[in-house]
Amino acid sequence: MDRPETPSRPPLRSLIVRNRKRTVLGMDPQQVIKHFFGANASTAVIVLVLIMVFLLREGVDFLPTYRHELETYREAGLELCDIADRPLKEQQNLTSILRRAKAATTDPATKEALTDAEDAFDTAIEPATEVLDELKEHAQETKELAVEFNTLESSRQQLLAAAARAKDPAEKADLLKEADASKVDPVDFSERIMPLLERRGELATALIDYTATLEKAAAALPADNPLVQEVRAAVPQHVSDIKQAAADLQAWKQDRPVSMFSVVVAFFFGKQWITNSSWQDFYGFVPLLTGSFVIAFIAILIATPISVTAAIYTNQFATEREKELIKPIIEFIQAIPSVVLGFIGISLVGNLIKDISEWGILQWVPGFPIQERLNMFNAGCLLAFMAVPTMFSLSEDALNNVPRAYIDASDALGATKLQTVFRVIVPAGISGILAAILLGLGRVIGETMVVLLVAGNRIAIPDFSAGPGVIFQPAHTLTGIIAQELGEVSRGSSHWQALFMVGIVLFAISLLVNWCARTVARRFEAHKA
Amino acid sequence: MKSVVSALCLTLASTLAVQAQSTLRIRGSDTLGAKLIPSLAEGFKKQGGKISFDIAAEGSSTAFTNLAAGTAEVGMSSRKIKPDERTLCRAKSIAINEIEIAWDMITVVVNKNNPVTDLKKKQIMQIFAGDIKDWSEVGGTPGPISVYTRNTSSGTYKDFMTMAMKGREYGTNSQKMAGNEQIVSEVSSNANGIGYIGYAYAGAKGIKIVSIDGAAPNPAAVKSYVLSRPTFLYTNGEPAGTIKEFIDFCRSPAGDAIITKGGFVPLSQMK
Repeated sequence: MDRPETPSRPPLRSLIVRNRKRTVLGMDPQQVIKHFFGANASTAVIVLVLIMVFLLREGVDFLPTYRHELETYREAGLELCDIADRPLKEQQNLTSILRRAKAATTDPATKEALTDAEDAFDTAIEPATEVLDELKEHAQETKELAVEFNTLESSRQQLLAAAARAKDPAEKADLLKEADASKVDPVDFSERIMPLLERRGELATALIDYTATLEKAAAALPADNPLVQEVRAAVPQHVSDIKQAAADLQAWKQDRPVSMFSVVVAFFFGKQWITNSSWQDFYGFVPLLTGSFVIAFIAILIATPISVTAAIYTNQFATEREKELIKPIIEFIQAIPSVVLGFIGISLVGNLIKDISEWGILQWVPGFPIQERLNMFNAGCLLAFMAVPTMFSLSEDALNNVPRAYIDASDALGATKLQTVFRVIVPAGISGILAAILLGLGRVIGETMVVLLVAGNRIAIPDFSAGPGVIFQPAHTLTGIIAQELGEVSRGSSHWQALFMVGIVLFAISLLVNWCARTVARRFEAHKA
Repeated sequence: MKSVVSALCLTLASTLAVQAQSTLRIRGSDTLGAKLIPSLAEGFKKQGGKISFDIAAEGSSTAFTNLAAGTAEVGMSSRKIKPDERTLCRAKSIAINEIEIAWDMITVVVNKNNPVTDLKKKQIMQIFAGDIKDWSEVGGTPGPISVYTRNTSSGTYKDFMTMAMKGREYGTNSQKMAGNEQIVSEVSSNANGIGYIGYAYAGAKGIKIVSIDGAAPNPAAVKSYVLSRPTFLYTNGEPAGTIKEFIDFCRSPAGDAIITKGGFVPLSQMK
């Protein structure tokens, strides 16, 4: 009678204890572990979403803010001044060449003629710049009034908010009084613009007069010098630019609305990134983008042959001992902190490239001898070095994944080892190799420290007219500009938002590159089957 | 058991309190905070100041953000406070108090092998604005000019623009360097380089000071040099206690000696 009862009714105490051991929050250990892992995976997803939301939240206001700034730029008349100012700046270019020609010539008569010509160029422009300077001063004053109004208004709001928070009545009264004191009237742009509009005819006439005197001065230039020829050739274009500007001045309207489209164009296709300016900040994206792309292109161009051939060698030709040596060493490169590489770039690679560029036998290389040791090529070399481990490992995996049967079949047909490698293995693994290159590109585009230290930080579109020698010019990058400028800008300002916009674009580029890599790799999966 | 815990808590709290009282947090300008203020702090401790310093130099603007957030007792700045920064502090109930501490001279430097020794103020403006592109235009050896400037976050960047360039933009060929040291190392390695640095850095190897309209930066004639500027410390209200002691030390003869050694000009010399 006793025996059947024992299994059906275990002692109550052991039942409770065992159950208690097993459940945590009503789940058994297996479930707990499963949920723990699941939570970790979802954390990554949540963090990614939060990053995107944060970036968008900070950056999305940029377009309206920038639009407002461009509106002020137009309403205050700064744009009107720039219509004349931009082509006039070209004159500096011409006199610069003249001064160079003067320094290069040894003939005293030519020298004198060139000095006269430079003087003539300078006196020709004077009446126009005089008018323009006065207009600029007025426009800037208007802009400053507008900015002051904005700051005072926002500071008034801040003080009012502080007053609302203040507990001490005396302090509260103080703050309220201060807030009241900072109350000003908004700027009446249509009234402030009147002097500019009245005088633009005068400016246009001065510009036309300038072109006439300039043409006369250009005709008097001595003929024999190539630099002078350059000036002479540039004058007609300059004159027509000025004439165009004079016409544009008359057509300019203060109240033409700034469309959202033009703001987007100004950001994505703007050629100037000027910040912390006393005249007008411009957030044009192109110089940074070209810098990033050229550097990435150089890096990939260098890293691809190195990593792919290294992968082919390791995978197909190396002995086991060589494999054990090569793989860990290449993968170890990844462990080098990028700031250390940056220092190597400044102190070692930069000087090395510069010294080599001064060798006599290498003078046929475009761009040699180089002047700047911090340049895109230097940054590209270091980034290539950083991208090699990623590209090597992934290419090696891709080659590894080529089905054994392909190789056996090739061998059976009597192909040599090299034929098997180049006709069978590499074509079969090509999409994996492409994915590796793309992921290497993703790594290179996002790298910050090296480019900030080594690329030279010149915010200008590289001068592609220099041919392949362009790679020895300095440049600035998307990542570098964020690292360099974000620390200083005040939160919520247009500059801050512009940097976040750059961040968003960078994020989008990385996503795109990774997506491409995945797509390519998926094709490669099909190969395996 | 309880008494032990509470005793522990008490000691911990009291050490923390002492710690908080005797640490002076200084934030702001790189020009001041990289060398000068740390050596002043060192000097202050040596002559018996019982206080520890926590100095971080990340640009003049950080002086005011930290003061406003209450994360610094003293702010250092190579430029005057801007109106919006003053309001920001005021809104946080911080009464900004400005103390002139020393004068600095922005020094224009070229490579030591460059034959150019003197430039006119207008030429400096034209070089940094990108109008003059070649050394032969100012009487040097022919070669394109490489212009090195500080980056936009620097107070010196803006000061140079107002003082030397009549507010014009830097040319697009200018390269923005993170600090004085980087400018020195690039100019010293590039025969065609030109840049500007704080006077404190002008003694470095491989570079040469350029005089402006015949006047070289000279601590004995600060006011007559065109690129001189005052530097400031900012506190919350009138300085008191250890802060006052420290600032008094900075303006004492002992402090003056440190300031002179650091490449700045003490106020006593300005009168």
